Amino acid sequence: MKVFAFANQKGGVGKTTSAVTLADGLSRHKIKTLLIDLDPQGHLALSFGLDKSPGLYRLICLDEPLEKVVVNIRPHLDLVAGDKQTEKVKRQITLSDFRENILSDLLADAPYDAVLLDLAPSLDVLHLNGLIASDWVIIPTRPDALAVDGVKEILTTMAEVEQSGHRYQGYSILPTFFDRTTRETLLQFQELASAFGEHLWPPIPQDTRVRETAAYGKTLWEYSPASTAMTGYREGRQKLGGYKQVLARMLEVLNG
Amino acid sequence: MAEKKFERRTTLDPAVADLLSGMQQRQAESQLPRKERERLGKERAKIQSRREQRATYDLPPSLREEIMALSEELRIPASQLVTLALARFLRDYQNETIDLGIYKQPSRSPRYDWNLVFPDDLIRIKKKK
Repeated sequence: MKVFAFANQKGGVGKTTSAVTLADGLSRHKIKTLLIDLDPQGHLALSFGLDKSPGLYRLICLDEPLEKVVVNIRPHLDLVAGDKQTEKVKRQITLSDFRENILSDLLADAPYDAVLLDLAPSLDVLHLNGLIASDWVIIPTRPDALAVDGVKEILTTMAEVEQSGHRYQGYSILPTFFDRTTRETLLQFQELASAFGEHLWPPIPQDTRVRETAAYGKTLWEYSPASTAMTGYREGRQKLGGYKQVLARMLEVLNG
Repeated sequence: MAEKKFERRTTLDPAVADLLSGMQQRQAESQLPRKERERLGKERAKIQSRREQRATYDLPPSLREEIMALSEELRIPASQLVTLALARFLRDYQNETIDLGIYKQPSRSPRYDWNLVFPDDLIRIKKKK
């Protein structure tokens, strides 16, 4: 089992959309996948056309077993939903012993091939739990200066986590809302490429379909599998970027 | 001894590298004078429009040479000569005025049932030494 965290302290960078799209993609490859919403906004459930529910609260505060808390939403895809009660989870964790490892311990024997954690854009104890529970951190970022600064913040936090003994298998930077026609995008992309090298994954093109899909409670695989955000830019005979290519990178990580 | 200068190489995801170089090329083009930009744009459009017309087949070298020689002699593009030849073949095949049976021999390929084996007087295939 591999645990992926989608993290960036900056909000609105595409963490939830990326987690939803890639989790659905993994499940379509028959990879048993669990999505966990660590954000009190509870948007993961809405993204699948479900109501918000206190899944994480029941798991951590009421000590209910994982198999009772998960909701099966698609073949090979389960969800631990979240809602505003997730705020109570943070308070409970803060009062607990070994508080940074609670999520990690809960997932230790989870019967999944991949677990995807959608972290909130904050730096609190739940966020830290997500980072400590994860093997691989995916950092979505818009190609703009503020969001790129959020990448540096996450990497600093990860370095602090590693100092406490946790070892990450790796991390990836995922550029989102990518508009290749603007000079600013090129400059930020060049900067990301020179700073992070192979850690930089192909970008997700800016696409109105992504906003529409959330409104319909569908994933991009269902609503618009041929959209640019899914298939990437056509460059000669090849396609560059898009969630399908990023999914291939994730599968490489999963298969070692 | 002069000090050697080593340059750090950044390894990039191949898709990221391709996208980045395409964007850099477009950015560099945008700095060119308008006439030069238009010329490059037209060239790109020409290449793109011809992409659907391109096909790759294995042909005996002698046949290719003959087509090229004919193209030179008649001053007609080789692509048009080949288009004519293929169109005539398809029409003959549809009208059943060409019989593939005389060339057919069983194939051992898992993908194809038959090979076409051409007589020397039709196509001079250079024998491997």
